Amino acid sequence: MSAFFSGLVHPLVIPAHLLALLALGLLIGQQRAMLPPLVGFATALAAGLTAIALAIGETAALDVLLAATALAGVLLALAKPLPTFLSTALAAIAGIALGLDSPPEAISLAAANATLVGTGLGACLVLVLVTAAAHCLTRWWQRIGVCIVGSWLAAGAILVLALRFARGLMF
Amino acid sequence: MRHWRHPIALAAISLLLALVCTPAVAHSGSMRGGFGGGFAHPLFGPDHVVAMVAVGLWGAFLGPSAIWLLPIVFPLVMAFGGVIGILGVPLPGIEIGIALSAIVLGLMVLLAARPPLAVAAALVGAFAIFHGYAHGAELPPGADAVAYSVGLVVATGLLHLTGIAFGQLARWPAGRMAVRAAGGVIALAGVAFLAAAR
Repeated sequence: MSAFFSGLVHPLVIPAHLLALLALGLLIGQQRAMLPPLVGFATALAAGLTAIALAIGETAALDVLLAATALAGVLLALAKPLPTFLSTALAAIAGIALGLDSPPEAISLAAANATLVGTGLGACLVLVLVTAAAHCLTRWWQRIGVCIVGSWLAAGAILVLALRFARGLMF
Repeated sequence: MRHWRHPIALAAISLLLALVCTPAVAHSGSMRGGFGGGFAHPLFGPDHVVAMVAVGLWGAFLGPSAIWLLPIVFPLVMAFGGVIGILGVPLPGIEIGIALSAIVLGLMVLLAARPPLAVAAALVGAFAIFHGYAHGAELPPGADAVAYSVGLVVATGLLHLTGIAFGQLARWPAGRMAVRAAGGVIALAGVAFLAAAR
């Protein structure tokens, strides 16, 4: 059971994952069509976690996740309505990257699987909550606040990508 | 009596934000990594602090659209400057550019200048490159990249919010004088930074 809960809180304790979920959730909440990107994220996340369970090798998942965060942050700051296919594609890319960047630390197979299930549920829960919260922000100053947070998230993700590149950590 | 509540509330918020963002003692280049290190970095340089606050103050004079545009433009362009700094691309006159940012933005506030929004955004963006470069170039080698970057950006944003909150006093005649005077003080501080940078 503890393995499940450690997976459940995994997206909250990994800063890059939390940034991605915040940026994506705020962006989806800013759009009219929220269901397709949420479904796209959940499906892609499940695929990524399954690939991890099948012991896929090292990937550029973190870099892709950071790039998706930066793009979502810029789109948030622009505050323009997006075509549904674009928001769904971005959510799917973030979902699969988040899944691939969440290898469990558990030793036993059962514990590892429980951790992965927890991670999937935790990430989806956080995304839905952020999306719902963002959708409720309808006053003009709240929307401006969301745009400002978007620019902060984009700036943070861009700086991290540059740091990873400079340190030779990029895949 | 009712119309007194807003300036008092705004002044209280400004004071609270200023207290959070006050410990400015010049660039040391020795901050630790992590969120705290990133958060402290903009606050440990008075040249950064006054310029960030000036951006918020100027936004208040430029009108509602500038209040949100400038704090959005600045972090994004600052990140671009940070990338240049992190990659070690040479950019001459960083300290002079930062000092000039305080002088120019302070003067804009002092004169209550209202250029077209695109011009204001371009000016703020140009100075943001210098500030971002300095943050990127002075990054501690062992810093946790994500936490440090988030701390850096959040502190910069809070300094903008401090300026925006103080700038709201400009709605009232006495507050307008106070905000313009703050711009003058920032410009004078910029002159001191420029003298120290040469």
